[in-house]
Amino acid sequence: MRVPLTDSISDLLFPATTAPAASAQPSEVECQVLRLFEQFRNPLLRYVVSFGVPVHEAEEITQEVFLSLFRHLQLGRSRKNLCGWLFRVAHNLALKRRYANQRSHDATASDWAIAERHADPSLNPEEQVSFIQKQQRLLAVLNSLPEEDQCCLRLRAEGLRYREIAALLGISLGAVSMSLTRSLARLIRADGR
Amino acid sequence: MPDEDFHLSDQELVLAADGELDVGRAAHVRAHLAACWDCRARMAKIEDTIADFARAYRQSHDSKIPPIEGPRALLKAQMAELAAASNVGSWMRFFQFTPLTRAAVCICLALFVAISGDLLVRHSRARGKNSAASAIEPGAIPDRNLTPGVARAVSIGDVCSMAHEEVVREVPASLRQEIFQEYGLQASRAGDYEIDYLIAPGLGGAEDIHNLWPQPYTSRAWNARVKDALEEHLHQLVCAGRVDLPTAQRDIARDWIAAYKKYFHTDRPLALRSELFPFVRVSG
Repeated sequence: MRVPLTDSISDLLFPATTAPAASAQPSEVECQVLRLFEQFRNPLLRYVVSFGVPVHEAEEITQEVFLSLFRHLQLGRSRKNLCGWLFRVAHNLALKRRYANQRSHDATASDWAIAERHADPSLNPEEQVSFIQKQQRLLAVLNSLPEEDQCCLRLRAEGLRYREIAALLGISLGAVSMSLTRSLARLIRADGR
Repeated sequence: MPDEDFHLSDQELVLAADGELDVGRAAHVRAHLAACWDCRARMAKIEDTIADFARAYRQSHDSKIPPIEGPRALLKAQMAELAAASNVGSWMRFFQFTPLTRAAVCICLALFVAISGDLLVRHSRARGKNSAASAIEPGAIPDRNLTPGVARAVSIGDVCSMAHEEVVREVPASLRQEIFQEYGLQASRAGDYEIDYLIAPGLGGAEDIHNLWPQPYTSRAWNARVKDALEEHLHQLVCAGRVDLPTAQRDIARDWIAAYKKYFHTDRPLALRSELFPFVRVSG
């Protein structure tokens, strides 16, 4: 079989079989990022919003997080524990944005208002009042905790394991355990159990 | 009294509830709970509180969260754009042109460089005469021999996920003294200067004497605050994928004032350029 002669350097550098095809189909990395976006977008958004960052800014941060993940994967970097990676990047960007905004975190009022608006419709009026009051108490305790304890509790509520929380916040496993125990004790007391 | 006779601690109960105990200890806790009503009641309280808290936490935020479809489409489009840019961005694609096209492109480029170079020189001269407000004062730019700029080996992911404390970290006192000595400044005048990173930590700059210099607070136009704005802007551009990290590092290290003009599309600090910002103090 005769190999056709090439008449330009481009043919050597970019033979037809290896030239990137102009395709509208997302790559494997893009598909993977989109799958992770569907899984983790809401938890990450909730976590960023919990820092007192407005929702539209939290949405921007979440986009930044997933674009960073896209570049991270494109560069062939580690795929180990991507959930922890996502929360770590979101955590840092949220802190940075909060600092830039110089806004005080005043989630309590809005959390309470939201809690009132979203009572469980299956409950009778008395049960609804009780349900809302309980939510208010729990959120008030959350907002009164030291920042590190709040982060531990929120990250745990989003399903992160202790070792992931410890790595993300730069604290020891024991510190995570103590923090969660302390916070749960306060929540139990506030709930009058 | 054997260990298993003691009640379980709250911490142990929380660890057990979260499945964070090792196998042996978990078996011990299960055995104790089977035998001890007190501890089982405490465990139930913990479990109930976790469930109530998780529900309250989610409900308080979920109502604020917009539907996923729009953001998903936006992310998809941005990724496609980034992927296309990284495919087409390589200068090696030039060789894909035919010889005739390559020659034409070379001629056009040569003409463009000649014309824009001439315009740039004229513009610089004119600006030098007319623009006192944006004049570069002594100390605004570091001595290139002493401070050429040093970057660490970092990825975009590292840079974009840096904690705020790392981005704005202070320079140790011992290193500050060395820098003052290197620049021949008296330590008594330390208050007149900020020890600034040439390549900012947020762009991968290293805490190295060759990446630090004393920037005078007294500069009226091109001072540390203006440079901070450039660093922040470049950091955002890098993390948004609009400028690659090595380019940002090179530009800011070569001439940060030129980089400011390039990335803010202006020939003078933005706060100076307009009276729209009467509350912004530009001078130090």
